[in-house]
Amino acid sequence: MSSSKFVDRPRFHCALGGALFTLRALQKAIPIIHASAGCGHNLFSASNAGAGYLGGGYCGGTAWSSTNVVEREIVFGGEERLNEQIRTTLDLIDGDLFVVVTGCMVEMIGDDVRAVASGFADSEVPVIAVPTPSFKGNSYDGYDMLLSGLFRDYVTQGLKKRADTVNLLGSVPGQDAFYKGNLTEISRLLQRIGFRVNTFFGEGETLDNLQKASEASLTIVLSDVYGLKAAAVCEEVHGIPYISLPLPVGAAQTSEFLRAAAVALKADATTVERVIREEEARYYDYFERIADIYNDVDLQRYAIVAGDANYAPAVSRFLADELGWLPRLAVITDLLEEERIPVLQQRFTGWESDTYPLVKFDTDTSAIQRYLAEAWEPNHNERYADTFSPTVLIGSVFERDLAAKLGIPLLTLSFPVTNRIVLNQTYAGYNGGLGLTADLLTTLVAGR
Amino acid sequence: MNYIHEKTPPMREERLGTGIAFGGTCREVRCAQRENCLNLASRSFSQTQGCQFTLSLAMINTLRNAVTIMHGPIGCGACSTGSVGTSQSFKRLRDPNAEGLIWLNTNLNEVDVISGGEEKLKEAIRYADKEFRPETILIPVSCVPALIGDDVDAVVAELQEETAAVLVPVHCAGFKTKAMATAYDDVYHGILRKMVRKPERLEDRRVFPDDLDDLRRKYRDSRTVNVLNVGSMSRQDELELERLLNAIGLKVRYLPCYSGAEDFRYALESALNVSICGTHDDYFIEHMKSLYDIPFVIDTIPIGRKNTARWLFQIAEHFDLQEETAKLVETESRELDKALEQFRPYLQGKTAFLGGGEIRIVATAEILQDLGMKIIGFKGHHYDQFAEPVFASLENVDDVIFDVATQQPFEQINLVKRLKPDLYVGHTGGGNISAKQGLPLLPLFGPSYNYLGYSGVFDVARRIRRLMSNAQFNKKIAQHCPLPYKASWYEKDPFTYIKKEG
Repeated sequence: MSSSKFVDRPRFHCALGGALFTLRALQKAIPIIHASAGCGHNLFSASNAGAGYLGGGYCGGTAWSSTNVVEREIVFGGEERLNEQIRTTLDLIDGDLFVVVTGCMVEMIGDDVRAVASGFADSEVPVIAVPTPSFKGNSYDGYDMLLSGLFRDYVTQGLKKRADTVNLLGSVPGQDAFYKGNLTEISRLLQRIGFRVNTFFGEGETLDNLQKASEASLTIVLSDVYGLKAAAVCEEVHGIPYISLPLPVGAAQTSEFLRAAAVALKADATTVERVIREEEARYYDYFERIADIYNDVDLQRYAIVAGDANYAPAVSRFLADELGWLPRLAVITDLLEEERIPVLQQRFTGWESDTYPLVKFDTDTSAIQRYLAEAWEPNHNERYADTFSPTVLIGSVFERDLAAKLGIPLLTLSFPVTNRIVLNQTYAGYNGGLGLTADLLTTLVAGR
Repeated sequence: MNYIHEKTPPMREERLGTGIAFGGTCREVRCAQRENCLNLASRSFSQTQGCQFTLSLAMINTLRNAVTIMHGPIGCGACSTGSVGTSQSFKRLRDPNAEGLIWLNTNLNEVDVISGGEEKLKEAIRYADKEFRPETILIPVSCVPALIGDDVDAVVAELQEETAAVLVPVHCAGFKTKAMATAYDDVYHGILRKMVRKPERLEDRRVFPDDLDDLRRKYRDSRTVNVLNVGSMSRQDELELERLLNAIGLKVRYLPCYSGAEDFRYALESALNVSICGTHDDYFIEHMKSLYDIPFVIDTIPIGRKNTARWLFQIAEHFDLQEETAKLVETESRELDKALEQFRPYLQGKTAFLGGGEIRIVATAEILQDLGMKIIGFKGHHYDQFAEPVFASLENVDDVIFDVATQQPFEQINLVKRLKPDLYVGHTGGGNISAKQGLPLLPLFGPSYNYLGYSGVFDVARRIRRLMSNAQFNKKIAQHCPLPYKASWYEKDPFTYIKKEG
């Protein structure tokens, strides 16, 4: 982590939380939390609401198995308690995979959780341990830690590679409220160009997809940040190369994504071009509907975008290149390693519209307002002022006060999204572009 | 009681013998509490349940014109994300201009774990003070800084010189206690040390005495009570209790939830401190007695008509207003009876299981008995002496099951499967598990509904009637979404995993 300072209203939580929600997204994978009594419940409350009311699912929320260590274990060590909790969890819970994940306290006292888990090597269902100390990373990192652990200790080694199989990473459950819809959409498109896709968390997928992930011939990471470390571990352990492509939103980015993926996958170019043609035709059949209202009443807007490293660049570019809007400020709100910053800045270049926002990297919610004056010269009480208006704010629920203060509409899509119920919606791919357009323009016609 | 010079309050398992693991009947748990043999037990299987840090936030995050600094790794206090909208709207019910929920996290990382987090905390305090200009900055301290030995009190003492905001440390490291209700003591400890103090009044600086005005103030103070609200209450609850106390001639000031800094200063200008919930308040009112000699009432919670009457009479006694109260209670009770008639035929004989805080489950059972329903099981977050007075409102519950468990839905599921109630009344946080038994579910509390006082009885009654008239949502969930427990669990004793030793 480059920026080591406090955070004003963080839009992420800790490694343990990221790991827990990654497990929440896997079918019948049961976490065993080795931590204080409040860790699991606290993190559940954060991502349940923050990810559009994701819920505890099969065995989550207050149902999460947890050692609830107290002072005695902190003084004398918690391994014995963990051993007991694994035994009783196996007794009680019907699961297909049990994963011990850890909180700060047991890491600080040096419990050897891998050794404790290895005592259950003979149990009917696999029990593995993935340390997730939260002072070593946030929830995005927890996703990488957990998946890396699974690639090392759970995914079957030495399966025969299949040229038609691809793994898809980079959309983080519990952080991205739309992870399932997004993975489903991208998976649909890759299937259309002839591939079997393991997203691990997508519709109809089971732990089987994960266990056989080593069959894949390529991993595509749908992100410039998240999932890269897990993909590298997968390459190291299973010999699967990976490429990183940005999360595509809308027709232009998605067609670009498909072409890039097709090259890496050595897919049949004719098929890919046919699929793109069909998808774009279908997309514009819907998109054309708004050509009337857009032009009748002038629905072009300035925009402020605040979001994570996946959404902020992709949404900004979608607004500029497809919706014909004018994004003027984009704030990427993650804690990032220094080396990721130029990669993300690169995403704000080469746009067809040739209009770009001011790009800032800041984790503090209160900072966004300060950048406005830099993004647009404030009105100094001139009689004729070209004001920063009309504008739409696209961000998280933390932007609600700012939107109210500026008197502009807000669409929330980046964590936390506590003011929406999210089920199978998507903001990725062709369908995601349509969904985003509908949601954005709905804020403008809501009073009609 | 006087722990005010200690750094932290004692843990409740030590101070009150609070227990978190027991399986038996109401008679048995009450007996075990009297013999002080509850507090050692624990579980060989447990589920995540919350800690004193997160519960502290249930109070801290309600304070107006305040900023919270979570001192810990980046995840600590992340649960605040879930209340960012509700906190703002509930604050605005008290003050239309109230700001939203603002918190910082000091983001302690691997380096800080070794070298200490005090510098980061200082930076965060300075930023919060300058950027948001709050009256108060509350600093809940989590497990990691507690273990590495950050001296938060020293940081606060140093920075208090330069900040406009009053700095209030709250020592609430989760691993320190099994009884998460210790959280209330932690927050009150901070409030007592930093926020309760004599108000500076212009009148006190008068050159010439104004006897009449002094008398007016004395009279007003002699008729003012501090009623200690809880974060789970609604504004409607407050208005109902205020209506009742106004009716016998008393003025009401609500503390601590949704209060601003000035409310704590005026807290000393009052004749009586009144607790709504023993679990919540004893630490505060005992200290207000020993430090400022303000008498107090701590007894039952005004949920259900018997409990409400008992609560009112305890207050009335202090002011010698029993006669007025008797009249009020009689009128209220008569009108309520008429209003409840419409629900009785429907609810008569239906059975219920209640889970959640010890005080609220027992008190809410009074409403259900009043409606002719039968109580067949309780699950209490913890157990201590404060449930005793509430039990007085119930009939025939000696042999009813009482499970002491903070959350622990696995025990609840086993019990509900055995007991087959018609209604489950439950604490927030276990909805996805409870739903899978297909029962109608009434939340035990909700800060946007009325539960307290006479109007609360009516509101609970009409909601139960509504919820029980169509439970299709949970039924369909139960049909399609399985519970995670093995079939063998339901054949075992629900208290199999309770251990006598810690």
